[in-house]
Amino acid sequence: MKKMVKKMAALAICSALVLTACGEKEKAAGGTTGSGSDANAKTSITWLNILHTASPPTDTIIKKIEEKTNAEVKFSWIPDASKEERINTSLASDSLADIVTLTILDNSSVRNALKSGMFWEVEPYLNEFPNLAKISEDTRRSASIAGKLYGIPFQKDLARNGVVIRKDWLDKVGLPVPKTLDELMEVAKAFTEKDPDGNGKNDTTGFMDRSDLVYGAFKTLGSYMGVPNYWKVSEDGKMTPEFDTEEYVKTMDYMKKLYDNGYINQDFAVTAKTDQQQKFAQGKAGIYVGALFDSKNLKNMAKGVQDNMELVLANNITPTGSESERHIWAGNNGIGGLLAFPKSEVKDEAELKRVLKFVNDLMDDDMYALMTYGIKDVHYKVDENDAATIINQDLWQQEVQPFASSRPNETGYKIHDSDPLKAESDKLIKENAKYAVLNPAYSLESETYSTQGSELQKIITDATYKYILGKIDLNGFKDAVENWKKSGGSKIIAEYEEAYKAAKK
Amino acid sequence: MKDSSTAAVNMNMKAAKKERPARMRLESLKRNKLLYLMILPGVLYFIIFKYLPMGGLVIAFQDYQPYQGITGSPWVGFKHFIRLFTEPTFFMLLSNTLILFALNIVIFFPLPIILALMLNEVRHKLFKNAVQTIIYIPHFMSWVIIVSITYVFLTVDGGVFNEMLAALGLPKISFLTSPEWLRTVYIGQVIWKELGWSTIIYLAAITVVDTQLYEAAEMDGAGRLRKTWHVTLPAIRPVIITLLILKIGSTLDLGFEHMYLLLNSLNREVAEIFDTYIYTAGLKNGQLSFSTTVGLFKGLVGLILVMLSNRLAKKFGEDGVY
Repeated sequence: MKKMVKKMAALAICSALVLTACGEKEKAAGGTTGSGSDANAKTSITWLNILHTASPPTDTIIKKIEEKTNAEVKFSWIPDASKEERINTSLASDSLADIVTLTILDNSSVRNALKSGMFWEVEPYLNEFPNLAKISEDTRRSASIAGKLYGIPFQKDLARNGVVIRKDWLDKVGLPVPKTLDELMEVAKAFTEKDPDGNGKNDTTGFMDRSDLVYGAFKTLGSYMGVPNYWKVSEDGKMTPEFDTEEYVKTMDYMKKLYDNGYINQDFAVTAKTDQQQKFAQGKAGIYVGALFDSKNLKNMAKGVQDNMELVLANNITPTGSESERHIWAGNNGIGGLLAFPKSEVKDEAELKRVLKFVNDLMDDDMYALMTYGIKDVHYKVDENDAATIINQDLWQQEVQPFASSRPNETGYKIHDSDPLKAESDKLIKENAKYAVLNPAYSLESETYSTQGSELQKIITDATYKYILGKIDLNGFKDAVENWKKSGGSKIIAEYEEAYKAAKK
Repeated sequence: MKDSSTAAVNMNMKAAKKERPARMRLESLKRNKLLYLMILPGVLYFIIFKYLPMGGLVIAFQDYQPYQGITGSPWVGFKHFIRLFTEPTFFMLLSNTLILFALNIVIFFPLPIILALMLNEVRHKLFKNAVQTIIYIPHFMSWVIIVSITYVFLTVDGGVFNEMLAALGLPKISFLTSPEWLRTVYIGQVIWKELGWSTIIYLAAITVVDTQLYEAAEMDGAGRLRKTWHVTLPAIRPVIITLLILKIGSTLDLGFEHMYLLLNSLNREVAEIFDTYIYTAGLKNGQLSFSTTVGLFKGLVGLILVMLSNRLAKKFGEDGVY
């Protein structure tokens, strides 16, 4: 008996030793950054990154990136859907990487972490690197928090949203591409009632929307109606939230009309993005509002299901059709987030410069092509006009697509997609920039907004849906706005006005 | 006869326990040291993973900032508690949580017992086993799948159920977006997923019921219903009470994942419960201190309910869980 006890104890101690040894090893691997002082030595870089596709990519592209940047890169992917909790817990437990992709800059803990000095301030170093030096002053200011730039901003197109319509259906019902909101309503009506797919059944709707008031139809239609981008600022510095404007109510009425008449999928308030796109591709509806470049995906998804699908893009819809009324909201003012470098991982200036060099290299032409289209003649081919065509769609989706959202810069490259829809959407997105409405509060500070903003936003989001679905009337909505103000909204307004004044000086 | 004798032994043991001096206890510790050594890993597990982390609860009294740590964050006393109890959302959360809890106890809890009793009466062995296996299966599906399946069935845009209603000439019902249907859908999903699995323990308890008792009852002319009522049910009563108390203990754990998937802008007033609120406030908005406060409150309510029900069980002459 005694012997057994001894044996057991010995075993326990052994396993404890093994466990701690493992722990140490992991620790050593976690804090990886080349400590060698030789500038030519391979830098090793860890990157906590957001994944927008269903599964992480294979190693093919990473190998190429490593080759070209002379670095050893290790990605940790966070699915986009759970980015808030994952980033928050990573920040809270200080388990970060050399590069951290922060896309939710209005989240309070992200903001507080940035302001607390957890990350390097990079602005003084930018001009040492050719690609980073090119980041415009406007972008730098928009991406700053309390006047300081805590990372390399993702440079995206200003305004990517628009309306995608089934051209073949338009021809069938004999209507032109709509230019006004009323015409768009007409199209939705015809698509619902005139059996555009010709199957003799009443099984189509005009719009196919999803449960998203921002990236779905609502905000874009609101822009066409003249709703400000989150905040309106008057000449004397008074701030008004978008939902306290007449145009916002008009947009709700428009959506309500679509809903009441059945011109929109009736369960849009609980429809997920994938369901939305799939149903559109299956020919259940003819109008899609979202990012213009989604048109290419929609067409691809419709292959074999709706082979006669023809799509047309519209970005010039207004209340009356006059050019002067054109507006389109700019998502995050063209900033897709920050590539931030925590001081706990990137220990000193020399290391910071190595990581910055890496980010700088990612913005080169060939790296852009690599992260966008993949490897030449494996994933895509390119003609003499720099028009790229994906030759192996499945392989591209698996190996290349996940990197699209990791590109620090997405604009101003020569190589472009040969797909006519993609080319058209690129053109329209560029055109959108001229009419883009910025969010004047984007880089302003409001303590209340960062701590309670998203809680408060729920009041408005809920009320907006309820109004559209007819569960509350205008008075009910006004009450919700009052409730928002009472619960902290008034404080947000006051704080923004203060910050706006301070920034103006 | 047998019963009374064991009761007497029990009584004796209880009396002996009270009088046993400390020296004796130490001796028994020595005598059974191997047994104590064997429970050591379990005790360590609870200390390290359950009790030590509780220290983190102090952040409920701080304005906790991760990079300042527990030592560096400012103390704010009961600020977060005051915020919790004065916010209008508090009563919404409390009533939503309690109503769903009550539904769980009143509607869901008796069902597995009834099902187990019914299965027990099935004489065809193969059929009984097949039914058991089939009703277990949903337990192994994740909530994501179950909620997705319900979505496909209940959506207004071509959902099977609504198409059936339409075919019958009835108006479509928007199950997913109306607050009135949320609780029905919720409890329906819980029943579908967990009913079969919950019968396992009852079935196990039923199998150990002394068959002599049934024979005796038959001699007295009892039919099936009578046997179930007077023999089976009393025999599994301790199991039922224990499970009920345990169930009440997890009162406020209504399944975060499940509710989070059902929650949307239109049913929030009845669907937001403590778990979902903690997730959005704490993990998504990063208000770690505040959400700790909410969690702490939830835990306290659960503890009080367990203690109450345990006392109640003892009053009714059952053993309770502690």
